[in-house]
Amino acid sequence: MNDLFTDHTDASLLAASERDPNAFAELYGRYAERIHVYFRRRTGDDSAALDLTAETFAQAWLVRGRFADRAGGSAAPWLFGIARNALLMSIRRGSIERRASQRLGIRERLDREPATVAPDDTWADGADELLEALPPSQRDAVRLRVLEELEYEQIAGALGTSSAAARVRVHRGLSALRAHLSVTKETL
Amino acid sequence: MPMFDRLSPELAELGDALHSAVAADLARTRSAAGAGLAVGGARPRSRSRLRAMARSATRTRRRIAVTVAVLVVAVPGAAVAANALLSPSQVAGGLAQGTLALLGTHPTCTTVQAGVEYHCVLQSAPSNQGGPAANQWLNTVEPSVGADKHVNGGCRAQNQAGTDWECYLGQAAVTQKIIGQGFLGAYSPSPGVG
Repeated sequence: MNDLFTDHTDASLLAASERDPNAFAELYGRYAERIHVYFRRRTGDDSAALDLTAETFAQAWLVRGRFADRAGGSAAPWLFGIARNALLMSIRRGSIERRASQRLGIRERLDREPATVAPDDTWADGADELLEALPPSQRDAVRLRVLEELEYEQIAGALGTSSAAARVRVHRGLSALRAHLSVTKETL
Repeated sequence: MPMFDRLSPELAELGDALHSAVAADLARTRSAAGAGLAVGGARPRSRSRLRAMARSATRTRRRIAVTVAVLVVAVPGAAVAANALLSPSQVAGGLAQGTLALLGTHPTCTTVQAGVEYHCVLQSAPSNQGGPAANQWLNTVEPSVGADKHVNGGCRAQNQAGTDWECYLGQAAVTQKIIGQGFLGAYSPSPGVG
């Protein structure tokens, strides 16, 4: 990875990527693993998860001009939003969404066959829908803590509240999710 | 080429492919922008709507750099005047033209602050063409596009169904963090996706 960008926020990486592709590579390095895990847990298929990860970052590149920094410089909520849409679009279309990665020409640069598994309705099962049902303050706090792995002080900064209040929101949100998720393939 | 040491071999390979594709895309953008300037601003033919929107933002910044000396005084006043001249129905048209999923939704807008803020209600819910899944529109932001096919502002969904929008024109859309400064004024020949 390029050390030049290690201190940059995600937002400044996206801005810098207009001039330097290494900036976008740094962003990829930060989030690829988590995005891939997100897809693998839902699809249960490594190859499908890899294709959807490619699609997520290809879409992120193509719509980077529309990124708006609303989380203290972090691109995590934006990236996971793109990931979630790619997953839901795949389920709706009955085939893995690959339009953006094809446009960018990523497929021909990879030495592997595309996934052949068909999207399944169960891919959408899990915490996402329950997360959406949480009150917005709890939902945002849980997202920042669980998906973005931010410290409570950072969450407080992003949400404009105190660290203690952020901790309470995360606790309440997770408690509500646990109450619903008695049987799930994902543990928050 | 960047090194993705911490990633699995598969993700590292994908990272390399992505880096290569992004570098090629940037090179194409620069080349196209350069060609455009050389022939007096003629725009290269776009290969996709999404890429065209991203490229046009870059081109716009270049054009601004070239003409800033002339426009530095005239633009702010002209922009405000142009926005103030827009009727609510023109704002409604701009919302529908900015995003593929909003085409044919027949928005109706009312003025909150003339030339700045408008409240818009769609007659029918957005389609699923490139937008969020049904009932997941809350806080989604979309650009609005003027009759001259340039981004003139942006709108934010106020409900999950995507039928209720708050739209801002010009700099107000940037202030509201709906669109970036570089995107305002970008050439957008067709509704965007995503």
